[in-house]
Amino acid sequence: MNQPDRSIVSRMLTIDRRFIFVLIALATLIPLLNPVNLPIVISPEVRSVYDHMESLPAGSVFLLSMDFDPASKPEVYPQAISLLRHAFKKNLKVIGMTLIVTGTGMAEEVMATVAAEMGKNNGTDYAFLGWRPGASAVILSMGQDLVGTFPQDHYGTPIGELPVMHNVKTLRDIDYAVSLAAGFPGIDEWYIYGRDKYQFELGGGSTAVMAPGLYPRLRAGQINGLIGGLRGAAEYEKLLDQSGKAMAGMDAQSATHFVIIVLVILCNVFYFISRRQKKV
Amino acid sequence: MPANGIPIDMLIGVWVATGLTLFIYTFLYKDNPLFKLGEHLYVGISVGYSIVITIYAVGVKLLWVPMTEEGQWQLLIPALLGLMISARFFPKIAWLSRISFAFVVGFGTGTIVPRLISSNVLSQLEDTIRPLATMTASGLTYTMNFLDPKSDINNLITLIGVVSVLFYFFFSVEHRGMGQAVARTGIVFLMIAFGAAFGYTVMSRMSLLIGRFDDLIVFSGAEYGRPTFVLIALIVGFLIYLHHRDKRRATMTDSASS
Repeated sequence: MNQPDRSIVSRMLTIDRRFIFVLIALATLIPLLNPVNLPIVISPEVRSVYDHMESLPAGSVFLLSMDFDPASKPEVYPQAISLLRHAFKKNLKVIGMTLIVTGTGMAEEVMATVAAEMGKNNGTDYAFLGWRPGASAVILSMGQDLVGTFPQDHYGTPIGELPVMHNVKTLRDIDYAVSLAAGFPGIDEWYIYGRDKYQFELGGGSTAVMAPGLYPRLRAGQINGLIGGLRGAAEYEKLLDQSGKAMAGMDAQSATHFVIIVLVILCNVFYFISRRQKKV
Repeated sequence: MPANGIPIDMLIGVWVATGLTLFIYTFLYKDNPLFKLGEHLYVGISVGYSIVITIYAVGVKLLWVPMTEEGQWQLLIPALLGLMISARFFPKIAWLSRISFAFVVGFGTGTIVPRLISSNVLSQLEDTIRPLATMTASGLTYTMNFLDPKSDINNLITLIGVVSVLFYFFFSVEHRGMGQAVARTGIVFLMIAFGAAFGYTVMSRMSLLIGRFDDLIVFSGAEYGRPTFVLIALIVGFLIYLHHRDKRRATMTDSASS
């Protein structure tokens, strides 16, 4: 019986990790350059957010809190684009804001870009409130007096002068809020200090790292849906029938996952072979 | 605006973004000055940006404008409380900061405790203790759909998971016999949770890599001056130079010591 070469096993177990980096880089790069468009299956949690947006009549107030910064841009930014496109397409009154100071510029950029693309105007169709310090205290304060919390929008215009903000005095006047989060403050804070106290419908979008921790909230009905990571963003793009950055990245995501699974299996195989050889 | 139609500020941004991305990725080869430069710039720019936005959003929009234009002089109280935190830097008046911290702790505890009990304890407890079978008009039914988070079978799994994990962390009783079986079931649930969390973490990190690679592909276009290719060539050249320099130094050190 052919025994595996001992030196190969030990060499594979101590392989230079830079070979693995090259493998992962290739697995990412090749599908991005030559996409094969693998099928994307819609999960119930992403569909819930989409269905709720669809159920809102025109003129409903939609609050999008973009609680992420450039470090999480590849995952959460495509979610923001999709949600804003959907909201503007449905002619909702859109209010944008952020609880993360380093995300302010990016949040402003995505709102202005998507609004321009959909032919919407600042003040009449949407408002960007910007950032306020205080995290959870901001949410509590918005629940009591939204205008007092944000006396002016990001551009310095008094909130009272914005037609889109008429009849929006507190969080109770919000028909649907979605927090796109990459950590603290994020979906947890929006539920604990916002939805639980002021009773408005809340959905979530997050980085994939955060997603498993949010499933208990989803199951308990504390949030009505969850867009998790780039995968969730791709599903939302598919629901909107608009191909974007997230869908383009799904082939690469699948390829890298495949490579990692193969590496994990190989590593275990070589480990058990080496252990058996040691025993012999 | 240059001939290719891309504004000069965007062009500079593209070259800087490409360069910094590649600088950070050089760490995968080994630690080097380019990585350190990128890392320090990231930290410095983040902090600088945060300070500027904070001064404008808080100092100007929430404090200066309401006080000077609307006469809301009561805002001096929170402003003073904020300034008192800075007293920690001066030992003789450091005690002043305690007043501000007492306010922060008092307000924080008062708002957080009831909210957390309501959201994280009571609501989650209510969701954990669900009926294990469903009573309908036609009698008692039992739903076995694993894909439905609220099916009866999933309610049972949730209950077993919560109880066994809680028991695993109950150290006042030795885990023997039946107790050992329950504790081991808890370990299985914990392992599945850790595995799911790790899988999602891998997915998240790969998504970030895809995002950066996507930008590098876009920025390799001729309209930007092909910064990806130019900078990769320069960085690889620099790393080769560093490699030879370190090797030369090591040889010199060896010969000097011998």
